[in-house]
Amino acid sequence: MKWIGLAWKNIWRNRIRSIVVIGAIAIGIWAILFISGFTRGMVQNYINDSISTQISHIQIHHPKFGDDKELKFNIAEAHDLRQELLSMDGVKSATTRTISNGMISSSKGARGVNIIGIDPAEESQVTAMKDKMIEGDYLNVDKKNPIIISRRIAERLGLKIRSKVILTFQNVAQDITAGAFRVVGIYDTGNAQYDELQIYVKKEDLQRLIGVDEPIVHEMALLVNDFNAVDQVRDQIKSAHPNLLIENYKELSPDLELFNTQIKLNIVILTVIIMLALIFGIINTMLMAVLERKKELGMLMAIGMNKWKVFRLIVMETLFLSFVGGPLGLLIAFLSLQGFAQTGIDLSNWSGGLSQFGLNPIIYPDLHTGSFVFVMFSVMVTAFLASIYPARKAVKLKPVDALRAL
Amino acid sequence: MSDIVIQASELHKTYDETAVPVHALRGVNLQIKQGEFTAIVGPSGSGKSTLLNIIGGLDRPSSGNIQVGGTDISTLNDNQLIDFRKDNIGFVFQSYNLIPVLTAKENVEFVMMLQGSSTEERDRRTKELMDAVGLGDRMHNRPSELSGGQQQRVAVARALAPKPTFILADEPTANLDSTSTANLLDIMARLNKEENITFVFSTHDQRVIDRARRVVVLEDGLIASDTAS
Ligand SMILES: Nc1ncnc2c1ncn2[C@@H]1O[C@H](COP(=O)(O)OP(=O)(O)O)[C@@H](O)[C@H]1O
Ligand SMILES: [Mg+2]
Repeated sequence: MKWIGLAWKNIWRNRIRSIVVIGAIAIGIWAILFISGFTRGMVQNYINDSISTQISHIQIHHPKFGDDKELKFNIAEAHDLRQELLSMDGVKSATTRTISNGMISSSKGARGVNIIGIDPAEESQVTAMKDKMIEGDYLNVDKKNPIIISRRIAERLGLKIRSKVILTFQNVAQDITAGAFRVVGIYDTGNAQYDELQIYVKKEDLQRLIGVDEPIVHEMALLVNDFNAVDQVRDQIKSAHPNLLIENYKELSPDLELFNTQIKLNIVILTVIIMLALIFGIINTMLMAVLERKKELGMLMAIGMNKWKVFRLIVMETLFLSFVGGPLGLLIAFLSLQGFAQTGIDLSNWSGGLSQFGLNPIIYPDLHTGSFVFVMFSVMVTAFLASIYPARKAVKLKPVDALRAL
Repeated sequence: MSDIVIQASELHKTYDETAVPVHALRGVNLQIKQGEFTAIVGPSGSGKSTLLNIIGGLDRPSSGNIQVGGTDISTLNDNQLIDFRKDNIGFVFQSYNLIPVLTAKENVEFVMMLQGSSTEERDRRTKELMDAVGLGDRMHNRPSELSGGQQQRVAVARALAPKPTFILADEPTANLDSTSTANLLDIMARLNKEENITFVFSTHDQRVIDRARRVVVLEDGLIASDTAS
C-alpha cells in the first residue's frame, strides 16, 4: 500500500529524532525483557535449588503427620508403596524417611531440630544433599551412629568432624530416649532457615532408638521425570491412595508460588512504568512531527485527503516507530539473554546476601517466549495510544492556513 | 447542463477574532463559466485570498451564497467538503506545497490515489500531465531536486490529475522569476485553450494580468471592475 510507504518515508524526515525515540523504545523493551529474564532465572534457580536439596517434586505423608509430627502417623506398608511408585511411568526416584522432632546437644549447648532418618542410597537418588557437603562424608560410612549436620549448627554447637553429639527424642512408648552420634559430615545448602533445623542420620539408627522392629516411614519424597508433569503424577498417586496426603512442591512450599506471582506482578509493574515513560516520549516526538508539518497536513486536507486518512497516516507513522524499535529491543534482549543463559551471571560478590535466601550465586537468565510476545504487544498498544493525541492534533488543523501561510 | 462553474452571490466575510473586526469581503458577486481564464487582481489585503478560499471550499462566508458546479457548498459538512474539493477543485498554491518525501510522479498521482484510480490509469495520466508541463523526464525526482518553476509546474499537473471542474491558484507566480512565470503561464494558457480547463488565479503581477482573458479587480473587499478581453 502506498499510504504505508508514505508513512514510512515520513518517519525518516527527521532521522535523528526518529532514531532517538526508536532507541528509547528498544532500550525500554530490552530493559523489561532482561530484568524479567534475569528474575525468572533467579526464581527458577531458587525453585530448582529448593527442589533438589529440600522438598523434591512430590512428598507423601500420613494426613495427620504435619500437625505435630507424631511417630504414630506413619505411612503403612511404605516399602510396597515405594516399589509401586517406582513402577509408575512418570516417577524417576523415591526415598523413604523416618522423622522425629528432637534435640541435638553438645557440651556447648542444645538446639531443637528435625531428625531425619534416611537411607543414603535411596536418598541420593532424590535429593542432592550429597553435593552440599562441605566437609566430611555423606552418611554411607561404616561407622556406628553417624550424623550429618549443617555448618550453622556446627558453629553454634562448636562441632567438628568426629565430634560427639547427643540426640534426644521420644520413643514409641512416649518416653524420652537419647543416643550418642558422631559427626561424619557437615553440609551447607545456603538456605539458613532450612539449615538451622535439619540433621540427618541413618534410618536404621533412628528406628532402633525409637524402638520399632519394623521400618517406620513418615515421609516419602519423589522426583518425576518431567518437571511439567508433576501435577499429573501427583493426581495419579492421589487417586490410587486417597488416604494419604500427596503434595507437589508448590503445595509443600507455598512461598515458591508466592515468590513466582510476586515476580510476575513486578514485571508487569515494570512494564507499565517503562511504557508510560515511552508514551510521553512518543507523544512528544509525534507532536513535533505533526506541528512542524502543519502546513503540509493542511495542504493534504485542502486537496482532498480526508480526516480519517490523515489520522491514519499519523497513527501509522507512530506505529512504525514501535515496529522498528520493538523488534530491535527484542533482538538485543534475545542476544544478551542468550549469551548469559550459556555462561550465567555470577553474583558471588553479592551472594553473601543471596545465600541467606537459598540462592545459588550463578544466575542463568530464562528466555521466555511469552514475555517477548507480551512486551511486543505492550509496545504496540503503547504506540497506538501515544499516536491518538498527535493524530487528533493533525486532524484539527485548518486547511485554510496552508493556503495563507507564506 | 449549465456551463456556469462558480456562482457567488453577495459574499461577505468578516474576520472577527481580531480586536477590530476586518471586513475582508463586503458583498462580492461573481460568476465564472466553463473554460474561463480569469485573474483576480488587487493590492495586498484587498481580499483575493479570502475570496479564493471561499470559492475553493476552504473557508466559509459570513453571509452570502456560493455554488460550485451547481452544488451549494455551504450545505456540506467538513468531511463532505474535503471530498468535494478532492473531486472538483484543483489547487495550486503560492509556495508549491508538494509532498517533499514523494517523487514528482507520486505527487501528481496523489489525489488520484485518494480517488481510488487504478495503477494503469494513474501511470497513463501522470505521464501525460508531466509531458504537458514539460517535465516528462523528471517524473522520479523529489521536489528538492527541482527548481521553483519546475515544482510549480508539478503542482499544476497535480491539480489537473483528478480532472477537477476548475483550477484555483492563489498567486501561483509570486515566488517565481520572470522566465519561470512566463513558462508557467504558457502552460496554463495552453491547457486552457486546448483542453478547455477553467483557471481562476489571483495575482498582482502586471505581466500575469496581461495574460488573463478576464480580469476581476478587487478593492477593499468589493469588485471594482470586471473586464473581459
Ligand atoms: N485569518 C484572518 N484573520 C483576520 N484577518 C484576516 C485573516 N485573513 C485575512 N485577513 C484580513 O483580511 C483582509 C483580506 O486579506 P486577504 O484575503 O489575504 O487579501 P489578499 O490576498 O488580497 O492580500 C486583510 O486585511 C487581511 O489582513
Ligand atoms: Mg493573498
